[in-house]
Amino acid sequence: MAGPPVHSLIQGVGIELIYSFVIILSSLMIYYATKEMYELSSYKGIKYFRQAFLLFAIAYFFKSFIKILLVYFGASRIIDINPRFMGPLTLFIFMFFGSLAVFYLVYSLMWKKWNGKSNVILGIFYVLSIAISFIIITTRQIEVFIGVSLFIFAIAIFGLYITHKQSKNKKKKNNIYVIYTLLFVFWILNIIEVLIPSFFQFYQILLYLASLGVFLTILYKVLRKSGSD
Amino acid sequence: MKKRGRLEIIKDILRVIQENRNSIRQTPLLRKSNISTSKFKEYFNELLEKDFVKETKSNSGEKRIALTQKGFNFLERYKTIVNFIEEFEL
Repeated sequence: MAGPPVHSLIQGVGIELIYSFVIILSSLMIYYATKEMYELSSYKGIKYFRQAFLLFAIAYFFKSFIKILLVYFGASRIIDINPRFMGPLTLFIFMFFGSLAVFYLVYSLMWKKWNGKSNVILGIFYVLSIAISFIIITTRQIEVFIGVSLFIFAIAIFGLYITHKQSKNKKKKNNIYVIYTLLFVFWILNIIEVLIPSFFQFYQILLYLASLGVFLTILYKVLRKSGSD
Repeated sequence: MKKRGRLEIIKDILRVIQENRNSIRQTPLLRKSNISTSKFKEYFNELLEKDFVKETKSNSGEKRIALTQKGFNFLERYKTIVNFIEEFEL
C-alpha cells in the first residue's frame, strides 16, 4: 500500500504536534480539575471518568510520537519502521491506552450496574485492550484494522445506549450523550488515521478540528461544573 | 421516600454535626442521621478514616464529634459534586 509522501508527513507533523498538545493539555486539565471532587467524594464514577482522560492523554502522546517516528524514519506506515521492534511496540502502546481510555469512559457511565464486579469487568477490559493491540500489530490488513476499530466503537455505543436507556435525567435536557458519541466517533477515526495514514489525506485537518472541538467542549463543561473556571 | 445514596447520607451526617454548632455526641448523631446502627458505624468509621470528622472531649470530659476542615469542604462542595455526577451521568 502506498502511503503519503514523506515531505507531506514533515509538513503535517507540526499540525499534529499542536493538535496532540492541545488534546493532551485538555485531558490533563480534566483529570486535575476533578481531583478535589474525587478526593472529597471517593465516588467511583468520577474516578473512572478522570482515569479515562488520563489514558486519552497518554494515547494522544503516543499518537504524536508515532507521527514523529514516521518522519524521522521516513516511513509511511508505523509497522514499516526499522528497527523492527520500535514500530509495533509504539503502536501496541498507543492501541492499548486508546482502547482502555474508551473502556474506562464506558465503565464510568455503567459502574453502578456492575458494582461489586468491578475487578472482573476492568480485568476483561484490560485483556480486551491487550488482545486488540496484539491483533493490530500482528496483522497488516486494512479490513482487520477497520473491524477492530468498529468493535471498540460498538462497545462504546452499546454502553452509551444502556446508560441513556436507564438514565434518571431523561426529562432534563442533557446533551452529554451527543458529546460522548462524538468523542467516540472521532477517537475511532483518530485510530484509523494512525493505522491507515492515507485514509484521511484530504480531510485530516477537519478530523483534527472536530476532535479538538469535542475535547474542548468536555473541558469547558468540566471546568464549569466542577467550579474550577 | 427515595432511598438516599452514599454521598447524600454522608452529607446528612455532616450537616447534623454542623447544625449542632459543630459539636454533638454520637448517640444523638445516630438518631438524627436516620440510618441503622450498623450502617451508621460503617459511615462513621469511614468519616473518621477520611478525616471528615474528629472526636473531641468537652470540658466535662464528654466525648463529642466535630467536623474537620475536610468535612466543611465536603459540605461546601456537595452540590457541585452532585451536579457534576448528574451532568456527566456518572
